[in-house]
Amino acid sequence: MIFEIINIALISAAIRTTTPIFLAGIGGTFTSKSGIFNVSLEGQMLISAFCAVVGTYFTGSSIIGVLCGIVSAIILSLLFALFVVSLRANPIVVGLAINIFASGATISIMKAVFATRGSLISSNIVGLPAIEIPFAWEILGEYSEIISGYTPFVYLSFIFLVIVMIIFYKTKLGLYISVVGEKEDAAIAQGINTVKIKYISSILCGFFCGIAGAHLSLGYMTMFTENMSSGRGFMSLAAIAFSNAHPLKLFLGCLVFGFSDTLAMRLQGFGIPSYLILAAPYIVTLLFLFLITYKNRPRIIKETLETMQKALAR
Amino acid sequence: MKKYLEYLRKALKDPVIAMLASMLIGAILIIMIKENPLRVYMILLKGAFGSIKDVAGTLLQATPIMISGAAACLAFKSGIFNIGIEGQLYIGGFAAAYLGFAYNLPPVLHTIVALIASMIAGMLWIFLPALFRAKYNTNEVVSTILLNYVAVLITSFLTINVFKIPGGWSETPPVAETACLPHLFSFSRLNLGFVIAVFVIVAMVLYFKKTKSGYECIATGSNYSYAEYGGILTKKVMMRVMLSSGAIAGLAGGIEALGVHRRFMEGFAPGFGFDGVTAALLAASNPIGTAITALFFGALRSGSLLMEVETNISREVITVIQAFIILFISVNIVIKKRKSKGGQK
Repeated sequence: MIFEIINIALISAAIRTTTPIFLAGIGGTFTSKSGIFNVSLEGQMLISAFCAVVGTYFTGSSIIGVLCGIVSAIILSLLFALFVVSLRANPIVVGLAINIFASGATISIMKAVFATRGSLISSNIVGLPAIEIPFAWEILGEYSEIISGYTPFVYLSFIFLVIVMIIFYKTKLGLYISVVGEKEDAAIAQGINTVKIKYISSILCGFFCGIAGAHLSLGYMTMFTENMSSGRGFMSLAAIAFSNAHPLKLFLGCLVFGFSDTLAMRLQGFGIPSYLILAAPYIVTLLFLFLITYKNRPRIIKETLETMQKALAR
Repeated sequence: MKKYLEYLRKALKDPVIAMLASMLIGAILIIMIKENPLRVYMILLKGAFGSIKDVAGTLLQATPIMISGAAACLAFKSGIFNIGIEGQLYIGGFAAAYLGFAYNLPPVLHTIVALIASMIAGMLWIFLPALFRAKYNTNEVVSTILLNYVAVLITSFLTINVFKIPGGWSETPPVAETACLPHLFSFSRLNLGFVIAVFVIVAMVLYFKKTKSGYECIATGSNYSYAEYGGILTKKVMMRVMLSSGAIAGLAGGIEALGVHRRFMEGFAPGFGFDGVTAALLAASNPIGTAITALFFGALRSGSLLMEVETNISREVITVIQAFIILFISVNIVIKKRKSKGGQK
């Protein structure tokens, strides 16, 4: 029985489920590092998923769809930054408002434009193509499924992971973002334009959430469903909280969620009711959040000191 | 009397401005959907207040929003973001319904027992987030939001996989007559729950104004370290506040289950908890303001039923308007705070 559950298809499915959570998580690390608690990942993802579908529906091009999605998420992230950074409103309140807006706007526009409720499925929606890695089958045989045959953003998410690591740990921008988040007064004293840095990180957050959303509706599935982000933004938020916004740990955390989600789906075949299975990823996320936040807490102070020393040495 | 009017004016000024501005933005959205905003708003108004029956419908919709709004007020005033009210409401609703259909007790007592069960259930549902927030500073926003999803799924599981009546809809057996909250009028499902909701709001006002522990909440919420310095056991306050907030949210679900549906069903109170959170945010955690906002939201909900029938607009347009109201209010709160600091920043 165990081999029926855990096999190659499971691993590749887990990678597929992980990708949207992880992409939104990358976005969230930017705002989190710059000291903004951003609850609006969920809403940004949702609006992008919708706009991506609308974009492809009317143009027939999945690339234009993805761009529409990214732009829509960036617009929401700018709205977020406008209220939180410039007008200094409470980020949780603004984030919740943005989530409510995204949910309401997508459903009402869907009804007004497409005259449907629930799901938007159409042959006009062109999904992102699955890409086979050349020679993967020849070299790995049946194991090639693990590294090949995904939609583009699954591969790109690994590249993004590397890029984001470089941004955070090797560039001035990354350092500035951390300093602004950890010790804003010191950043101001150093002459860093904190408002600008926070705007940049918000926009980057929107960019990655946009990709996450577009991937959800064009890569992971080829349709739009009401509230289809279904809490993935909050799972990313939990992963950010316990990974302390470290990209690699974040990826591992998201992988755990993706894996538990896929595993639960598999168990459906063994007579476990679907509602319990759907609840599994949230429960796993919660357990992780509870267990790891406490362990991570003392490290925050140490990291602040380290970054400060680096910033002063420059 | 004059004092109370002044108090009301203060509590209502900002929400009303934000509401009007958001209705304006909503109007733009409605024009984009190619409908006449004036007509749509008139239909909304008619749906909410057109007849005595509609007014009762508005109050009926406002009841769970008022109670969950009170739960949100309590948490927000103490500086805690309990966004999990929706989930606590679902669990509370299920607990009350279960006690209602699975046990036989004399009237009145049955209702009371079921309502207490709903409160305990709501309290248990927030227990872990509360414990970890108070002890290890685990972010309560994330944990309570995630528990919303779990609550909705678990209650669906219990309803459909465990307690479903054979051949029926996705719902539990009906609650025994002895446990139901009595209807106030023959023409509406408006029930005793509305009276309880008013009581909860009044109790909340008195709690913040007159009691020591209410003061402790406000102190913890407005300045954590100062409160701690002043000898308030902030962690204890936090735990107490979160548990009570969960209990009140559970009560909202219990009343909805025993008063309106008289059973538990899938998706039985969609968004009432979130509306309560929104109402409290809008009123800056002022209980009276929250109640009035809840009535406004109740009117929107009950009016939007008619709107969906008579126009091409879906009721989610209301959610968009609500989102803008929160955004506008969020700025208002900050500007006021900055002013009161005497222009230091």
